[in-house]
Amino acid sequence: MSDPQSPVRVVVLGGGTAGWMTAAGIAKLLPGIASVQLVESEEIGIVGVGEATLPHIRGFVEKLGIDEAAFMKATHATYKLGIDFRDFGRIGESYIHPFGSFGEEVAGVGFHHWWLELSRHGMAREIGDYSLAVAAAKANRFRPPSQDDSLASTYGYAYQFDATLFGPFMRDFARGIGVERHEGRVVGVERDALSGDVVALALADGRRIMGDLFVDCSGFRSILLGQELGEAWEDWTHWLPCDRAAAMPCTHATEDLRPYTTATAMPAGWRWQIPLQHRMGNGYVFSSAHISEEQACEAIIASAEGTPLATPRILKFRPGRRSRSWSHNVIGVGLASGFLEPLESTSIYLAQMAITYLIELFPTGGAVDPRDRDEFNRLVDMEYDRVRDFLILHYHATTRDDSEFWNHVRTMQVPDSLAGKLELWRRAARIEKYSDGLFYDASWIAVYVGQGMLPEAHDPRAGMIAADALARATERLRMAVTGEVAAMPGHRDYLMREAARLAEAA
Amino acid sequence: MSAPREPLRRIVVAGGGQLGILAAIALRRACPACEVVVVGGDPGPASFADASPTAMPFTNKLHDRLGIAEEQIVARAGGSYRLVARYAGWDAAGQGGVVAYGEALDPALKTAFARDWGKVRLPGAGAPPAGSLAEVLAAAGRFAPPPPGEPTPISSVDYALRWHPAAYRDLLIAAAEALGVGYVAGTIDRIEAGEGDAIRAVGIAGQGEIAADFFLDCTGPQAALLAAHPRFAFTDWSASLPTRHVYIGEPTAPLIALEDRLTLTRSGWVSEVAGLDGRRPMLGTPAPLARAEAEALLGARALGAVALTPGRAEAPWLGNVVALGDAAARFEPLGPLHLDLAHRQLALLIEMLPGRDINPLERDEYNRRSVMMMEGVHEVLALHFASIRAQAVFGARPLPGRLAAVIDQFARRGRIPFREELPLLSQEQFALLVALGWTPGLPPAALAADAAEEARARAAFAAEAEAALAFAPPYDQWLARVRANPG
Repeated sequence: MSDPQSPVRVVVLGGGTAGWMTAAGIAKLLPGIASVQLVESEEIGIVGVGEATLPHIRGFVEKLGIDEAAFMKATHATYKLGIDFRDFGRIGESYIHPFGSFGEEVAGVGFHHWWLELSRHGMAREIGDYSLAVAAAKANRFRPPSQDDSLASTYGYAYQFDATLFGPFMRDFARGIGVERHEGRVVGVERDALSGDVVALALADGRRIMGDLFVDCSGFRSILLGQELGEAWEDWTHWLPCDRAAAMPCTHATEDLRPYTTATAMPAGWRWQIPLQHRMGNGYVFSSAHISEEQACEAIIASAEGTPLATPRILKFRPGRRSRSWSHNVIGVGLASGFLEPLESTSIYLAQMAITYLIELFPTGGAVDPRDRDEFNRLVDMEYDRVRDFLILHYHATTRDDSEFWNHVRTMQVPDSLAGKLELWRRAARIEKYSDGLFYDASWIAVYVGQGMLPEAHDPRAGMIAADALARATERLRMAVTGEVAAMPGHRDYLMREAARLAEAA
Repeated sequence: MSAPREPLRRIVVAGGGQLGILAAIALRRACPACEVVVVGGDPGPASFADASPTAMPFTNKLHDRLGIAEEQIVARAGGSYRLVARYAGWDAAGQGGVVAYGEALDPALKTAFARDWGKVRLPGAGAPPAGSLAEVLAAAGRFAPPPPGEPTPISSVDYALRWHPAAYRDLLIAAAEALGVGYVAGTIDRIEAGEGDAIRAVGIAGQGEIAADFFLDCTGPQAALLAAHPRFAFTDWSASLPTRHVYIGEPTAPLIALEDRLTLTRSGWVSEVAGLDGRRPMLGTPAPLARAEAEALLGARALGAVALTPGRAEAPWLGNVVALGDAAARFEPLGPLHLDLAHRQLALLIEMLPGRDINPLERDEYNRRSVMMMEGVHEVLALHFASIRAQAVFGARPLPGRLAAVIDQFARRGRIPFREELPLLSQEQFALLVALGWTPGLPPAALAADAAEEARARAAFAAEAEAALAFAPPYDQWLARVRANPG
């Protein structure tokens, strides 16, 4: 390390979504502390993970000082209130996992206990009818939540955008704030003989890109973290067998624009439908052990609702994560660090999370303190492992026995950390609580109930109120939800209302 | 099809101190069809949760939920308000520090304060600027609880209540009686085993027995029910928490103040809680002191001394017994953590209220979170003894849990790592670390932060402070008025 006053030289390897998000985040939030260079090669394509996001993306975009409308316009974005899961628990059944809550706690007892009690009396409607986010999604309506603590504040929203446009948008933003881009292919990695730290990347044309800190955003190849430093990969294929996706866009088949992503279970995985402004994104996430790539491509063509706009493209991946995402002076962000299939739209979140922690724990003097590295790895591992368990739940909580794939995931042994959660739910309708990481009570309840995994027993207090009184109270709530939804504009109308949000017609 | 669990039919709360009675009220309200019986009297002054004249903001919310009106506590139980705790003698620089409640500061202001607090100060340069509206109000002696539901210049100020423990307990007894909570005087002298590892009944000396489905142990440090359980185990905190003797001072003259004090002396720590019935001092030491010396430090006559072995129940819920308060965790009354912990554990129990058949998994989940709460208190207390001056008095101690990492992150980065179920919010921890003498490092983003943004935040805070001072009445006058005309 040179002069402690000079900025830390950050070299980002890889110009995909994760790479440009990292470069933009560091350059914007650590001006003068860090200088950022990014190495990418036009010869290497990008995976363009995830077209759907979680509400956290809004905080990231806001922190960078990016205008929401401009961002939506550039990425052809629509609003997203949740995910509609179809055929997961049983063929023919569906539910929406909303960015929001169901009902409200009454007398300290969670709404789902009251709902279970009402169900016992045959007086409950679908639990989604008591969620404003779900009801609005089903009605294809959207309005941003209110900032008070009324019913209209009980949801959040994210975006559905074109990931192949998001990367370039972040690139333009990053370059505008001083990130230096190097076109070139990395052919060598220079290490310090003593510390083993990476000191420079050698490019094919002979240039050397020197740095103090290297962020590996090279995707699955994980050129620095995996190939060079040999960080072990924890493979989770036995729990999450999907390892391919066949992606294909098509035209919109309906006038309505869904403010939600659809995930439909398939014989060997599931397929997404993500409505963007000008097209519908489709993809079949499948297990290559159970069907061939050709079969998957045929299936995605057959299931597209609109006219195909391209031939299907195959993406390959492996679920798992590196045992350490920060090793020496190399930090993996995105696929170089880990991958979880896009079932709950977590890919961009996981990159954003790593970037946020990296900025919090940034080695301002240039030298990496092992304590910061350990803290980073602890946080990243916790996030990955919690998301992993939640994804496994979607496969495991099923009665499907119509294919080898579903037989496998239905009967597999789940991680102990998940098994305990499932048992607590089955026996007492309770959710293991935590306040750190992703996916709280409402998310778990949405999947449990939505996939037909109902508990055996619920809170004793729910049984102490006359069923008809309970029915009246919940009906009032449902009417309030219905009234709120009726007052919302349609999703397409809301988008169109402000031209600044709209991309030019392609 | 999911069915509601068969509800508890009778709950026995062992221990009739202020904690046991509030627990009985909470259970009765949660489960009106269930008979709730309190057995036995106040566990006495060695049960710190039962003897505590104060708690933290969480208790105000719990009181609200349970229908215990704050106005009643003020009117009938000597209630008064604390906005801040003032620390003195813990930091080497001798500046002291002030800890307020809540998390109201905007990020730019936090950075600005971190910069102020992180500066090297020359002797005589004066204390760093106030770090919260609460501190500004406390220094000016101005406050009245803001009316709920309408925005005021002091609505973001959170506070804790103090009270006269005996009068507060009487207030709770009246509330419990109105709810139909039963009471049996007498001493539990035997425990009748039931199926598995459950208790079937407790025997009352010279009387019969009371059977119940569920038992709460609020008997104080003796943990009459839980400690008798065959699987009871104690997790010792002695290595990290050095207080072995607690001296309880007689309340001195009434003291109207918006702050309480925690002072480190050469022989131990002194806590002083202000109150309308007097200033209540306590002293904690590693070794026994001569009476005269203890009384000099207390500034009051010593009413008694309590020997302390700190620690917690390894699992506070065993079979059908749940321990709360000193029966679950035993530690020095250094700050108002006892009732806060007990009330948070009580709220967790009410949230997870079991049926007659208790599932081991729900017990595990309760114990998991409850243990996190207790270890959070353990870490906050241990932080006090990790300060340089405290080490000179109490000796160097190993740091429990993740405390070493927290101190390191704070000192190098001004960062407070998130931990679940902690008694203090991150801003409160930040202020406590400063008060105990640690200097916050600056977060990377703050090194690059915009000075204009911080100047704006400072100016905004100054304006808010001015508005708060203009809005809030003189506290002593307001208090005298509401006490003269309750309701």
